[in-house]
Amino acid sequence: MAPATSTENEIEIEECSLAYEVKHTRREGGAGTHLVLDAINLTVSRGEFCSIVGPSGCGKSTLLSILAGLIKATEGSARIEGREITGPSLRTGIIMQAYALFPWRTTQKNVEFGLEIKKVPRAERAQIAEYYLEMVGLADFRQRYPYELSGGMKQRVAIARALAYDPEILLLDEPFAAIDEQTRGQLHEQLLDIWEKTRKTIVFVTHSIEESIFLSDRVVVMTPGPGRIRSIVDIGLARPRLAEIKNTEEFATYRKRVWQLLQTRGELTEEIVLEDGSVILETVPFIEGI
Amino acid sequence: MAGNNKRRKPGLARALSIFESSIVIVVLLLAWTFIPLLPGVSLPRYFPSFLEILEAAGSMIERGVLWLDISTSLRIALTGLLLATATAIVLGLLLGWFARLERYVDPVLQVLRNTPVLAILPLFILILGIGDISRIAVVFFSSFFPTLLNTIQGVKHADPVLIRAAQSMGISKPALFAKVILPSATPYILAGFRLAAGVSLIVLVAAEMLGAAHGLGISIWTYQFSYQIAPMYADILTLAIIGVLMNFGLLKLEKLLTRWQEKPQ
Repeated sequence: MAPATSTENEIEIEECSLAYEVKHTRREGGAGTHLVLDAINLTVSRGEFCSIVGPSGCGKSTLLSILAGLIKATEGSARIEGREITGPSLRTGIIMQAYALFPWRTTQKNVEFGLEIKKVPRAERAQIAEYYLEMVGLADFRQRYPYELSGGMKQRVAIARALAYDPEILLLDEPFAAIDEQTRGQLHEQLLDIWEKTRKTIVFVTHSIEESIFLSDRVVVMTPGPGRIRSIVDIGLARPRLAEIKNTEEFATYRKRVWQLLQTRGELTEEIVLEDGSVILETVPFIEGI
Repeated sequence: MAGNNKRRKPGLARALSIFESSIVIVVLLLAWTFIPLLPGVSLPRYFPSFLEILEAAGSMIERGVLWLDISTSLRIALTGLLLATATAIVLGLLLGWFARLERYVDPVLQVLRNTPVLAILPLFILILGIGDISRIAVVFFSSFFPTLLNTIQGVKHADPVLIRAAQSMGISKPALFAKVILPSATPYILAGFRLAAGVSLIVLVAAEMLGAAHGLGISIWTYQFSYQIAPMYADILTLAIIGVLMNFGLLKLEKLLTRWQEKPQ
């Protein structure tokens, strides 16, 4: 792939690999190194909603950590707006499954956290926090501590916290995995609403096929061992999207397509020793994580 | 969606809870006061009635000796305790943060911590003389370790998810320390401090008994020596009250500083 220089591309990941040394590998090959990500190529354009879907262990969260600047790729290049990612910065906002709210801070003070790091004056901080708490529908809860909030509310606070310091890119790492079905549906619509209002570039990691299709412009399908991009599916569903769209024929087609891509690992095989001692190679199917 | 008053108990329940927690003490004190007044009841000489103890306390207050002893003891206990706490928090934060340093220092800390402090008192007296300083040193030594060890644990147990979240926003090391590590460690530090406060009082009284000009510890001993039983009880009860008040105050402080924690049901 030619190095992309277009300013349309907000994120450019080029031949990115991540390997780490292990003292004792259970798996053969790799001679003491474990390959988590293998030559990932991906570009995400400005304002795009891009999902990465794959089973546990496919390296999708690792890829997100690279974009957040929390981990450095061992090979290749990852850039935001043409600039190499060298460490964490306020250009990206990450939202994690575990909410990661500071328990000793009220809702409002949690939202102000990034602004404090940015050294925004107190009055302005309060104003910005108010605005984004309003956006996620939690303005009435600004004096509450996290333990007083439900899981869905906590995640909305985390979203407001990430939005507050105005990053260009939002990185969401299985944000709704621990949240009940009904609440998750509401959060999906709210997230799309916020995305349309703020026009952030979003990279959304999930293991839910339905979630990835419903939210995204494109779904990146990853396979594990080592983590590779299997395929990228363009989602042509009209926007704005409402929950009913999940019942349409078109949605079902996308769901089947992504599901099939996750079913086979293509060239990835497993050694199977038969009773007579001979060895065959078999393609590994898996259902896990769907 | 109830307001903040949802945690406050309504008047009746509050009154009931006060009643439950005080009734037994009140009954015991009333019995202690009035049973000895009944005709035909006589208590052993080493067990005066509550009234006699109050009378003795009144006379001790009048002569100014009770306050002198209380203030002397409290001054030494608080000086030692606060110096120890300040040192322990600073050192604990350092050792918790620099795990490698802690691995080197920990064996020494374990030896010192497990040395009975009163065993070192003669050494302190030898070095520092028999004045207040050696007693402050003993209090310092005994109340230092609970806070130190708890602070180290507190720093080590800071949630990695929260650290990661803060780091993802490009936080600087000093800010990470002030905004994440320190608040994480606060409940641990406070628990250590409360432990240390209790220990400081015990150790001080014991140290005073080994010789001091003033203080509740030496006062109890002196009254016992001269067979003044009621004043001796007055001193003991004073210490009990100080202990209870101190614990109560520290619990309040803990509640205030960690009101963000979920209350155990």
